[in-house]
Amino acid sequence: MYGWIWRHLPGNAWVKALISVVLVLAVVYVLFQYVFPWAEPLLPFNDVTVDGQ
Amino acid sequence: MSRARNRIAGLISVFGELLITAGLVLGLFVVYSLWWTNVLADRAADKEGAQVRGEWADQGPGALDTKGGLGFLHVPAFGGDEILVKRGTESDVLNNGVAGYYTEPVKSALPQDERGNFTLAAHRDGHGAKFHNIHKLKNGDPIVFESKDTWYVYKVYKTLPETTKYNVDVLQPVPEESGKKEPGRYITLTTCTPMYTSDYRYIVWGELARTEKVDADRTPPAELR
Repeated sequence: MYGWIWRHLPGNAWVKALISVVLVLAVVYVLFQYVFPWAEPLLPFNDVTVDGQ
Repeated sequence: MSRARNRIAGLISVFGELLITAGLVLGLFVVYSLWWTNVLADRAADKEGAQVRGEWADQGPGALDTKGGLGFLHVPAFGGDEILVKRGTESDVLNNGVAGYYTEPVKSALPQDERGNFTLAAHRDGHGAKFHNIHKLKNGDPIVFESKDTWYVYKVYKTLPETTKYNVDVLQPVPEESGKKEPGRYITLTTCTPMYTSDYRYIVWGELARTEKVDADRTPPAELR
Protein backbone atom coordinates (compact mmCIF):
# COMPACT_ATOMS: atom_id res chain seq x y z
CA MET A 1 0.00 0.00 0.00
CA TYR A 2 2.62 2.52 1.07
CA GLY A 3 4.97 1.12 -1.60
CA TRP A 4 2.27 1.67 -4.19
CA ILE A 5 1.77 5.28 -3.06
CA TRP A 6 5.55 5.88 -3.13
CA ARG A 7 5.83 4.56 -6.68
CA HIS A 8 3.00 6.76 -7.87
CA LEU A 9 4.33 9.98 -6.39
CA PRO A 10 5.99 12.17 -9.01
CA GLY A 11 9.57 13.39 -9.01
CA ASN A 12 12.81 12.08 -7.58
CA ALA A 13 13.27 10.65 -4.08
CA TRP A 14 13.53 14.11 -2.44
CA VAL A 15 10.34 15.37 -4.02
CA LYS A 16 8.58 12.15 -3.10
CA ALA A 17 9.77 12.44 0.50
CA LEU A 18 8.57 16.03 0.68
CA ILE A 19 5.14 15.15 -0.71
CA SER A 20 4.96 12.22 1.72
CA VAL A 21 5.58 14.51 4.69
CA VAL A 22 2.86 16.87 3.48
CA LEU A 23 0.45 13.95 3.06
CA VAL A 24 1.21 12.63 6.54
CA LEU A 25 0.66 16.07 8.07
CA ALA A 26 -2.62 16.38 6.18
CA VAL A 27 -3.78 13.05 7.56
CA VAL A 28 -2.81 14.01 11.13
CA TYR A 29 -4.66 17.31 10.72
CA VAL A 30 -7.83 15.59 9.54
CA LEU A 31 -7.60 13.12 12.43
CA PHE A 32 -7.11 15.81 15.10
CA GLN A 33 -9.59 18.23 13.64
CA TYR A 34 -12.43 15.97 12.59
CA VAL A 35 -12.04 12.27 13.32
CA PHE A 36 -10.92 12.30 16.98
CA PRO A 37 -13.41 14.95 18.16
CA TRP A 38 -16.12 12.85 16.55
CA ALA A 39 -14.90 9.56 18.03
CA GLU A 40 -14.17 10.78 21.54
CA PRO A 41 -17.71 11.05 22.93
CA LEU A 42 -18.40 7.55 21.64
CA LEU A 43 -15.63 6.10 23.79
CA PRO A 44 -15.97 5.52 27.55
CA PHE A 45 -12.91 7.44 28.74
CA ASN A 46 -14.18 10.82 29.75
CA ASP A 47 -17.59 10.73 31.41
CA VAL A 48 -17.26 12.72 34.58
CA THR A 49 -20.80 13.32 35.79
CA VAL A 50 -23.13 11.26 37.90
CA ASP A 51 -26.24 11.19 35.79
CA GLY A 52 -27.54 7.65 35.86
CA GLN A 53 -27.28 7.38 32.10
CA MET B 1 1.76 -20.10 -9.87
CA SER B 2 4.27 -17.43 -8.98
CA ARG B 3 1.74 -14.77 -9.98
CA ALA B 4 -0.77 -16.19 -7.51
CA ARG B 5 1.91 -16.26 -4.83
CA ASN B 6 2.82 -12.67 -5.52
CA ARG B 7 -0.81 -11.73 -5.19
CA ILE B 8 -1.10 -13.40 -1.81
CA ALA B 9 2.15 -11.85 -0.62
CA GLY B 10 0.86 -8.47 -1.75
CA LEU B 11 -2.42 -8.89 0.11
CA ILE B 12 -0.64 -9.91 3.28
CA SER B 13 1.68 -6.95 3.12
CA VAL B 14 -1.25 -4.56 2.62
CA PHE B 15 -2.95 -6.15 5.61
CA GLY B 16 0.19 -5.71 7.68
CA GLU B 17 0.49 -2.08 6.66
CA LEU B 18 -3.12 -1.50 7.64
CA LEU B 19 -2.43 -2.96 11.09
CA ILE B 20 0.61 -0.72 11.54
CA THR B 21 -1.48 2.24 10.43
CA ALA B 22 -4.21 1.37 12.93
CA GLY B 23 -1.60 1.23 15.69
CA LEU B 24 -0.25 4.64 14.73
CA VAL B 25 -3.76 6.13 14.64
CA LEU B 26 -4.51 4.78 18.13
CA GLY B 27 -1.23 6.22 19.36
CA LEU B 28 -2.18 9.57 17.88
CA PHE B 29 -5.55 9.35 19.60
CA VAL B 30 -3.78 9.06 22.96
CA VAL B 31 -1.73 12.13 22.10
CA TYR B 32 -4.94 13.90 21.15
CA SER B 33 -6.81 12.93 24.31
CA LEU B 34 -4.11 13.60 26.86
CA TRP B 35 -2.32 16.53 25.32
CA TRP B 36 -4.05 18.33 22.49
CA THR B 37 -7.46 18.62 24.19
CA ASN B 38 -5.66 20.18 27.18
CA VAL B 39 -4.03 22.74 24.92
CA LEU B 40 -7.35 23.70 23.36
CA ALA B 41 -9.27 23.67 26.66
CA ASP B 42 -6.73 25.74 28.56
CA ARG B 43 -6.67 28.26 25.78
CA ALA B 44 -10.48 28.55 25.82
CA ALA B 45 -10.65 28.69 29.61
CA ASP B 46 -7.96 31.36 29.88
CA LYS B 47 -9.80 33.49 27.38
CA GLU B 48 -13.16 33.09 29.10
CA GLY B 49 -11.64 33.58 32.53
CA ALA B 50 -9.99 36.81 31.44
CA GLN B 51 -13.33 37.92 30.04
CA VAL B 52 -15.10 37.27 33.35
CA ARG B 53 -12.42 39.17 35.27
CA GLY B 54 -12.70 41.99 32.77
CA GLU B 55 -16.46 42.21 33.27
CA TRP B 56 -16.05 42.18 37.04
CA ALA B 57 -13.56 45.01 36.86
CA ASP B 58 -15.80 47.04 34.58
CA GLN B 59 -18.95 46.77 36.63
CA GLY B 60 -17.57 47.29 40.10
CA PRO B 61 -19.39 45.67 43.01
CA GLY B 62 -22.89 44.45 42.35
CA ALA B 63 -25.02 41.48 41.55
CA LEU B 64 -23.66 38.19 40.38
CA ASP B 65 -23.58 37.77 36.64
CA THR B 66 -23.55 34.14 35.59
CA LYS B 67 -23.59 34.51 31.84
CA GLY B 68 -19.91 34.07 30.98
CA GLY B 69 -19.04 32.24 34.14
CA LEU B 70 -19.97 32.23 37.77
CA GLY B 71 -16.54 32.62 39.28
CA PHE B 72 -13.36 30.73 40.02
CA LEU B 73 -12.53 27.69 42.05
CA HIS B 74 -9.19 27.66 43.86
CA VAL B 75 -8.00 24.34 45.22
CA PRO B 76 -4.47 24.51 46.67
CA ALA B 77 -4.27 20.69 46.80
CA PHE B 78 -4.65 20.55 43.01
CA GLY B 79 -1.52 22.61 42.65
CA GLY B 80 -2.74 24.23 39.47
CA ASP B 81 -4.39 27.39 38.38
CA GLU B 82 -7.78 28.76 39.18
CA ILE B 83 -10.69 26.92 37.57
CA LEU B 84 -13.46 28.83 35.87
CA VAL B 85 -16.94 27.68 36.92
CA LYS B 86 -19.76 27.74 34.42
CA ARG B 87 -23.34 26.56 34.25
CA GLY B 88 -24.09 23.03 33.10
CA THR B 89 -22.23 19.74 32.87
CA GLU B 90 -22.71 18.92 29.18
CA SER B 91 -19.54 18.02 27.35
CA ASP B 92 -19.57 21.20 25.26
CA VAL B 93 -19.28 23.13 28.54
CA LEU B 94 -16.78 20.91 30.33
CA ASN B 95 -14.60 20.41 27.25
CA ASN B 96 -13.56 24.05 27.43
CA GLY B 97 -11.47 23.45 30.51
CA VAL B 98 -13.96 24.58 33.12
CA ALA B 99 -15.83 23.07 36.03
CA GLY B 100 -19.57 23.02 35.48
CA TYR B 101 -22.29 23.10 38.09
CA TYR B 102 -25.09 20.59 37.74
CA THR B 103 -28.43 21.60 36.31
CA GLU B 104 -29.64 18.01 36.13
CA PRO B 105 -30.33 15.35 37.35
CA VAL B 106 -30.16 17.27 40.65
CA LYS B 107 -30.04 21.03 40.38
CA SER B 108 -27.06 22.58 42.09
CA ALA B 109 -27.40 25.27 44.70
CA LEU B 110 -25.22 28.35 44.24
CA PRO B 111 -22.65 29.42 46.83
CA GLN B 112 -24.64 32.45 47.89
CA ASP B 113 -27.78 30.40 48.60
CA GLU B 114 -28.78 30.14 52.25
CA ARG B 115 -28.49 26.38 52.10
CA GLY B 116 -27.96 23.69 49.54
CA ASN B 117 -25.27 21.76 47.74
CA PHE B 118 -23.00 23.44 45.19
CA THR B 119 -22.29 20.49 42.89
CA LEU B 120 -19.53 20.58 40.29
CA ALA B 121 -18.07 18.31 37.64
CA ALA B 122 -14.87 18.61 35.61
CA HIS B 123 -12.57 16.40 33.58
CA ARG B 124 -10.01 14.15 35.20
CA ASP B 125 -7.93 13.81 32.01
CA GLY B 126 -7.91 15.77 28.80
CA HIS B 127 -9.93 18.90 28.11
CA GLY B 128 -7.98 20.82 30.72
CA ALA B 129 -8.04 17.97 33.27
CA LYS B 130 -9.14 20.44 35.93
CA PHE B 131 -9.95 17.78 38.54
CA HIS B 132 -6.96 15.59 37.67
CA ASN B 133 -5.58 15.70 41.21
CA ILE B 134 -8.86 15.12 43.02
CA HIS B 135 -7.27 12.20 44.87
CA LYS B 136 -4.92 14.65 46.60
CA LEU B 137 -7.79 16.31 48.47
CA LYS B 138 -7.88 15.18 52.09
CA ASN B 139 -10.21 15.99 54.94
CA GLY B 140 -9.70 19.53 56.15
CA ASP B 141 -8.26 20.80 52.86
CA PRO B 142 -9.71 24.09 51.67
CA ILE B 143 -11.72 24.54 48.48
CA VAL B 144 -12.20 28.22 47.83
CA PHE B 145 -14.76 29.63 45.47
CA GLU B 146 -14.25 33.20 44.32
CA SER B 147 -17.30 35.08 43.14
CA LYS B 148 -17.38 38.67 42.09
CA ASP B 149 -17.66 39.99 45.62
CA THR B 150 -17.16 37.07 48.02
CA TRP B 151 -14.65 34.35 48.85
CA TYR B 152 -16.42 31.16 49.94
CA VAL B 153 -14.06 28.97 51.93
CA TYR B 154 -15.15 25.34 52.07
CA LYS B 155 -13.40 22.58 54.00
CA VAL B 156 -13.35 19.00 52.75
CA TYR B 157 -14.94 16.63 55.27
CA LYS B 158 -15.50 13.45 53.26
CA THR B 159 -14.22 11.76 50.12
CA LEU B 160 -15.71 8.82 48.28
CA PRO B 161 -12.99 7.38 46.02
CA GLU B 162 -15.26 5.12 44.03
CA THR B 163 -18.96 5.03 43.27
CA THR B 164 -21.11 4.31 40.26
CA LYS B 165 -22.32 6.89 37.82
CA TYR B 166 -25.86 6.00 38.88
CA ASN B 167 -25.27 7.38 42.34
CA VAL B 168 -26.98 10.72 41.78
CA ASP B 169 -27.80 10.95 45.50
CA VAL B 170 -24.33 12.36 46.10
CA LEU B 171 -25.71 15.56 44.59
CA GLN B 172 -28.67 15.92 46.96
CA PRO B 173 -29.03 19.25 48.80
CA VAL B 174 -28.27 17.29 51.97
CA PRO B 175 -25.78 14.64 50.81
CA GLU B 176 -26.65 11.93 53.32
CA GLU B 177 -24.03 9.55 52.00
CA SER B 178 -21.40 11.93 53.34
CA GLY B 179 -22.88 11.59 56.81
CA LYS B 180 -24.78 14.88 56.88
CA LYS B 181 -28.36 14.93 58.10
CA GLU B 182 -28.99 18.66 58.46
CA PRO B 183 -29.39 21.22 55.68
CA GLY B 184 -26.25 23.29 55.27
CA ARG B 185 -24.01 24.90 52.69
CA TYR B 186 -22.14 22.10 51.00
CA ILE B 187 -19.92 21.69 47.96
CA THR B 188 -19.57 18.48 45.96
CA LEU B 189 -16.88 17.77 43.37
CA THR B 190 -17.39 14.89 40.95
CA THR B 191 -15.11 13.47 38.30
CA CYS B 192 -14.23 10.11 36.82
CA THR B 193 -11.95 7.45 38.25
CA PRO B 194 -9.65 5.55 37.86
CA MET B 195 -7.50 7.94 35.90
CA TYR B 196 -7.73 7.72 32.10
CA THR B 197 -11.04 5.85 32.21
CA SER B 198 -14.49 6.50 33.50
CA ASP B 199 -15.56 3.23 35.04
CA TYR B 200 -16.45 4.94 38.33
CA ARG B 201 -16.92 8.36 39.84
CA TYR B 202 -14.83 10.08 42.50
CA ILE B 203 -16.69 12.32 44.92
CA VAL B 204 -15.40 14.95 47.36
CA TRP B 205 -17.67 16.78 49.79
CA GLY B 206 -16.94 20.01 51.59
CA GLU B 207 -18.83 22.30 53.90
CA LEU B 208 -18.73 26.09 54.01
CA ALA B 209 -16.42 27.21 56.80
CA ARG B 210 -16.71 30.97 56.32
CA THR B 211 -17.05 33.70 53.73
CA GLU B 212 -14.95 36.79 53.19
CA LYS B 213 -15.81 39.95 51.33
CA VAL B 214 -13.59 40.61 48.33
CA ASP B 215 -11.58 43.77 48.92
CA ALA B 216 -10.41 46.27 46.34
CA ASP B 217 -7.18 44.37 45.64
CA ARG B 218 -8.94 41.01 45.59
CA THR B 219 -6.62 39.85 48.38
CA PRO B 220 -7.08 36.10 48.60
CA PRO B 221 -8.11 34.52 51.92
CA ALA B 222 -5.44 33.01 54.18
CA GLU B 223 -5.92 29.51 52.72
CA LEU B 224 -4.65 30.63 49.32
CA ARG B 225 -1.62 32.60 50.49
